[in-house]
Amino acid sequence: MAKRTRTLQQQNLVSVGILHIVLALLSIVFLIPLLWMIATSLSTEKVAGSFPPQFIPEPIVWKNYYTAFNYQSEQLGGVPPMLIYARNSLIVCILVVAGAVISNAIVAYSFARLKWPGRDVAFSITLATMMIPFPVLMVPLYAMYKDFGWIGTFRPLWIPAWFAGAFNIFLLRQFFRTIPLELSEAAKIDGCSEWGIFAKVILPLAKPALAVVALFSFMAAWNDFLAPLLYLQSQETFTLALGLQNFKGQAGGSPIHLQMAASTMVVAPVIILFFFTQRQFIQGIATSGLKG
Amino acid sequence: MKFTNQSKAGLLFALPWLIGFSVFLLYPLLRAFYNSFTEYTVLTPAVWIGTENYHALMKDKVFWQSLGNTFYYAIFAVPLSTIVAIGLALLLNTKVKGQAFYRTFFFLPALVPAVPMAILWLWLFNGEKGIVNYGIQVLNDHNWLFQVPKPNWLGDKTVAKNVLVIMSTWTVGHAMVIYLAGLQQVPLALYEAADLDGASPIRKTFKITLPMLSPVIMFNVIMSIITSFQIFTQPYIMFPGGAPERSTYFYSMYIYDAAFRDNNMGYASAMGWIMFLIIFILTFFARKYMDKKVHYEAN
Amino acid sequence: MNWARFASVIPIAAIIWAVFAGEAVVKKTPRTDGRIVVTYWEKWGDFEADAMRAVVDDFNKSQDRIFVDFQSVTNIGQKAMLATSGGIPPDVAGLFGPNVAQYAYNNAVIPLDEFAQEAGIKREDYITQYYDICTYRGKLWALPSCPASTALHYNRKMLADAGWDPDNPPKTIEELTRLDEMVFKKDGDTIKKMGFLPTDPGWWPWAWSGVFGGKLWDGESKITMTTPENIEAFTWMGSFAKRYGSATVQSFQQGFGTFKSPQNAFMDNKTATVLQGVWMANFIEKFNPDLDWGAVAFPYPEDHPELANSTIIDLDILVIPRGAKHPKEAFEFIKYVQTQAAMEKLCTGQKKQSPLAHVSESFIKNHPNPFVELFQDLASSPTAYSTPKTPIWPQWADEIKSATEVINGKKEAEENQGSVRAALQAVQDRMQPKLDNVIRRERALGIYREKGSVAN
Repeated sequence: MAKRTRTLQQQNLVSVGILHIVLALLSIVFLIPLLWMIATSLSTEKVAGSFPPQFIPEPIVWKNYYTAFNYQSEQLGGVPPMLIYARNSLIVCILVVAGAVISNAIVAYSFARLKWPGRDVAFSITLATMMIPFPVLMVPLYAMYKDFGWIGTFRPLWIPAWFAGAFNIFLLRQFFRTIPLELSEAAKIDGCSEWGIFAKVILPLAKPALAVVALFSFMAAWNDFLAPLLYLQSQETFTLALGLQNFKGQAGGSPIHLQMAASTMVVAPVIILFFFTQRQFIQGIATSGLKG
Repeated sequence: MKFTNQSKAGLLFALPWLIGFSVFLLYPLLRAFYNSFTEYTVLTPAVWIGTENYHALMKDKVFWQSLGNTFYYAIFAVPLSTIVAIGLALLLNTKVKGQAFYRTFFFLPALVPAVPMAILWLWLFNGEKGIVNYGIQVLNDHNWLFQVPKPNWLGDKTVAKNVLVIMSTWTVGHAMVIYLAGLQQVPLALYEAADLDGASPIRKTFKITLPMLSPVIMFNVIMSIITSFQIFTQPYIMFPGGAPERSTYFYSMYIYDAAFRDNNMGYASAMGWIMFLIIFILTFFARKYMDKKVHYEAN
Repeated sequence: MNWARFASVIPIAAIIWAVFAGEAVVKKTPRTDGRIVVTYWEKWGDFEADAMRAVVDDFNKSQDRIFVDFQSVTNIGQKAMLATSGGIPPDVAGLFGPNVAQYAYNNAVIPLDEFAQEAGIKREDYITQYYDICTYRGKLWALPSCPASTALHYNRKMLADAGWDPDNPPKTIEELTRLDEMVFKKDGDTIKKMGFLPTDPGWWPWAWSGVFGGKLWDGESKITMTTPENIEAFTWMGSFAKRYGSATVQSFQQGFGTFKSPQNAFMDNKTATVLQGVWMANFIEKFNPDLDWGAVAFPYPEDHPELANSTIIDLDILVIPRGAKHPKEAFEFIKYVQTQAAMEKLCTGQKKQSPLAHVSESFIKNHPNPFVELFQDLASSPTAYSTPKTPIWPQWADEIKSATEVINGKKEAEENQGSVRAALQAVQDRMQPKLDNVIRRERALGIYREKGSVAN
């Protein structure tokens, strides 16, 4: 019996070793593109274009980031465009996040905790709206925003976020349903209105879930390209995703090392945010995909 | 049912969504449906032309080509990325030490926004100086495995689409995390029972793990079918005009061009509705088929 | 406690800031000096934009009623259209010549006939080829900013290295092909050098037709993609990929740096010759000032000497989009650009020739482009050609580009002629119905003019 356990342990040791090798190799495959992006962003133009590639560029040129940051700054009266794009992205992200958190919490509360006629039908329709592809809405939305006088402003990018969305409603509803009904009942006996229950009982408990909604909607707004492409025309209104395209512009755009430096600057905030919020992030994704 | 206080409150709480749904989804959807029967530019009023747009679409080679490209992408990207995601999740689920690190590494690519991703991939897959072809060359020089051809990834019409498929397997982070969470919900008792029967790990995977995971897989596959049909940003930036030879011209790109390059909004709306119907039908059948499977095996 | 309260204020403050900042970015604050602001979007960046910015500054200084706000916009052809459809057009847009018909047909620009008449601007003031680019269906929709014509630019050192007399660059297509074979160098599977590569920079995939004397259409209603001249032209274009293998040529081309960089294939000594526009001098000076180069008219087919001196007539234009807030003031500015002094300043800054019929002596004498006279002369050459004036041109050009990709991608050398014809036929089949549709609609709207009813 003792002998058998030992061989089992040895076997385990070998298989754990193999497992680690496999995982490490896979990690390299998954990380190389990003590392290569950073390496190129620190190369001189000549090194970046050399073949075979240099994995650790020599010399390391930090100034590329400065150059990329100021790229085309003469077009905006000397202000670095990346700064303007970043400000615009920030504006849109703040408003989208705020709108998504507030509106989805309210609506999800209704679907999760309140009974009203037609609620369940409405909820299935809500889920079904996830099937509607954006391209089918593209043209009519454009015409509608034109009538509203919204083209060329940030409004088409953030105002819809204040009217909830199927995915986040679904996410929050899952969470709200796990909060014991007794808490609401107790609050009701204390004389709380529905709004009071929502604001004083449910919301404080739902903070982790709200953080997830905030993160997801931040990512979506930060990454969005098609909507800004349609609604923003003037360079001083571009978001980062849209402005980054200028590096790849018509006549070939900027040199590759600047493209990589600019790309790194757009990717970095997301990755930094991820490292700070990793736990909520991973948990949030996990709940979003598991049917409850 | 009478309108109780609660139902009043309920409707009031749901109001933002009811407005959002009607204004930003239902109304545009219906207006697109109407527009699809008209000749229409935003600058000139719509003229009713019946089903002419749909007739023209049926005869439009580029329409079929872009539809074909989109199906090609979906048919390869959805299963491949699902397999990769489940595979990674299974590896991580072995509770190996440092699991959190590996998970982070695998997840990072999924965080990269579409535009920098497209720019980065153009660089990686450059036929002349790309690091991917360099890697293949190194393998070939050392005679590892077998000689691998060095494709001209971006310029060859038979491989260009595959670059996007490969990209989809690189960004499986979200799905991987979901599957991992799903795996962790599988009751341990089932494995213990299988251990008593002396089942091999592979047998356990196929007989217990995957069936138990099937509801999660279903949900994710449906979601990724929906998103893969809308692929736009990456090919729009990487392959202007769908070069080479429109082999990377996807359905959304054609809708965008029809609407905003050719100013043919009616035509674009007709295409949009066809896309909606395709997604609707696919989702419907995917659900139906998988529902059966899921129930059957999970019991 | 207090901190908690303070922390709860931050998000609210952020939201308020974002709302106000977001509106402030978009909102144009009126100028304190009471001048009318004319928004002007232009496609140029870098030093080309600087040249125009100098003219704008002059204009702003020349009077105190109007202030032109100059903005560089990438991908302007589509951006200006989107903004116009969206009801927020700029007052002036600097588009490309081939956009005229598309914008006019879509009702996206306003006609300038009355303005021009009032200002006394006439067709005779211009090299007529350029003026005619600005018209469509008998109306004037734009006025020129910078003109361009194209020529064969050659690298003298590369020619000499290959044993070709640099003072005697290729005159005929056959010589150009021979030059390419002489310069061509390969290292294993990789091409190192080529004499000429038709797909670089690939901006005018349709242009080979003009070189061989072909016509893309009859100028009215019939597309003629498959004429013998066109087939010959595109066969020649495809012969380069065939000679060296299409995959090999493609990866050679992918190794090129971006156009605006020292790694540009021509400036990096990778291609000995290139078909480029008058602006090339500017880029050479910026990115490789040591390059020893020259320019001559693009070669002609040996057996057709009458086709010598062909060039692509290209023009940058100024238009007033429909819905512009200050069309009158916008035209004031456009009119200013048309004056000889302003135009010559702009064109000198961009190292291009002038679109005006009259140029000052000093313009040519002091011009920074050593070959400006060549480009100036080419512009009025009888073999000069430009893009078809039709609203479907952007699509049509995309189709031709796809067709050239098909031709260059074909691997079987024998099928050459047949596959070229098939590829061009596909363009024909796709575009002719669209052109028919345009004409049908123009007839219905009463803007279509039958052949011969107008001069252009």
